[in-house]
Amino acid sequence: MQVLIFGCNRITASLLPDLAGEGVEITVLGSERDCLESVASHPGVRVLLTAEPLMQDYLQEGGINHADVFLAMSGDDHQNILVAQIAKHIFNVPKVVCHLGSPQLQVLYTALGLNVIGYSFGLLQDVRQALDDNPRG
Amino acid sequence: MYVVIVGCSESGYHLSKALIAGRHEVVVIEKDLGRFQLLSEELGSIALLGDGTDEVTLKRAGVTRADVVASLTGVDATNLVISQITKHIFKVPRTMALIKDPKNEPIFHEVGIDVVVNSTHLVLASLEEGVPGRPLVHLMNLRVPGMELVSITVPEDSNIIGKRLSEIELPPNSFISLMIKKSGATLPTGRSVVEPEDELVAVTPTGEEQILYDILTGV
Repeated sequence: MQVLIFGCNRITASLLPDLAGEGVEITVLGSERDCLESVASHPGVRVLLTAEPLMQDYLQEGGINHADVFLAMSGDDHQNILVAQIAKHIFNVPKVVCHLGSPQLQVLYTALGLNVIGYSFGLLQDVRQALDDNPRG
Repeated sequence: MYVVIVGCSESGYHLSKALIAGRHEVVVIEKDLGRFQLLSEELGSIALLGDGTDEVTLKRAGVTRADVVASLTGVDATNLVISQITKHIFKVPRTMALIKDPKNEPIFHEVGIDVVVNSTHLVLASLEEGVPGRPLVHLMNLRVPGMELVSITVPEDSNIIGKRLSEIELPPNSFISLMIKKSGATLPTGRSVVEPEDELVAVTPTGEEQILYDILTGV
């Protein structure tokens, strides 16, 4: 199985032990040099340092055309949206997951058929709920 | 027409001036305070300070009644998001986006952005036009994936000079759509005769422009 992850951060690093296993090849793309250096030591993990204007070249180099899973996990919602849609619509990657921090964008892109993850929409609901529950508290 | 422009770099500024001159109604959204102040001085109250990916700002700009939204920020991904928000949430009938990376063009078309302007491509075309001895200019990518429009100027020593177009064997799926002679532009027919310095505008599959170029320049 080929897994391509866009964005290197604590979440990505924590995921790697879950994903790693026999026959699993993981490639992590990102602009975060320190994080890439630290995850590169995991067995079966390849890392690629990227720069924004050439994103498509890096996706191809990372093997997007035969990836089984694509995770867009960077801290930049717009880049995540761009690459996740490329993975889904251009390269037909079977499983695409896109992390988004903005609650507005979470709602829109879920409606557009992306598999969106992120807790801020839920958090927003929770805050509204809490305010309703305790109007004076 | 009512046009909302998001991101007012050089191109956005000139576009808004041209639209205003054409008596269109224009609002420009700019995130950067310094640029916004310059714009306000130049364009007056049509400049709006704010983030064009934010629904509240877009509503303030009156995007719900816009005929066109042009996303002209310097970041391809941001232009994609603005176009998708305005298309799907605000039902804007026509979305236009500027891109820098030519490889991003297919995904913009795929998700239904109406007009995709590829700045790198345009600059490249202008540069190619100015390079002597290289009379192949990429004009634009067509909406049909994998096809492009090119312009080839026939050199004096080409072996197709004096031939009729029907006598020239073109690669499959390539055809000449316009012939520009010294006397002006003409719609070519099979009987049109090629003369030196004729400019031929042709449709050809991407990646095969070199084959067409070799045939028309007669090497």
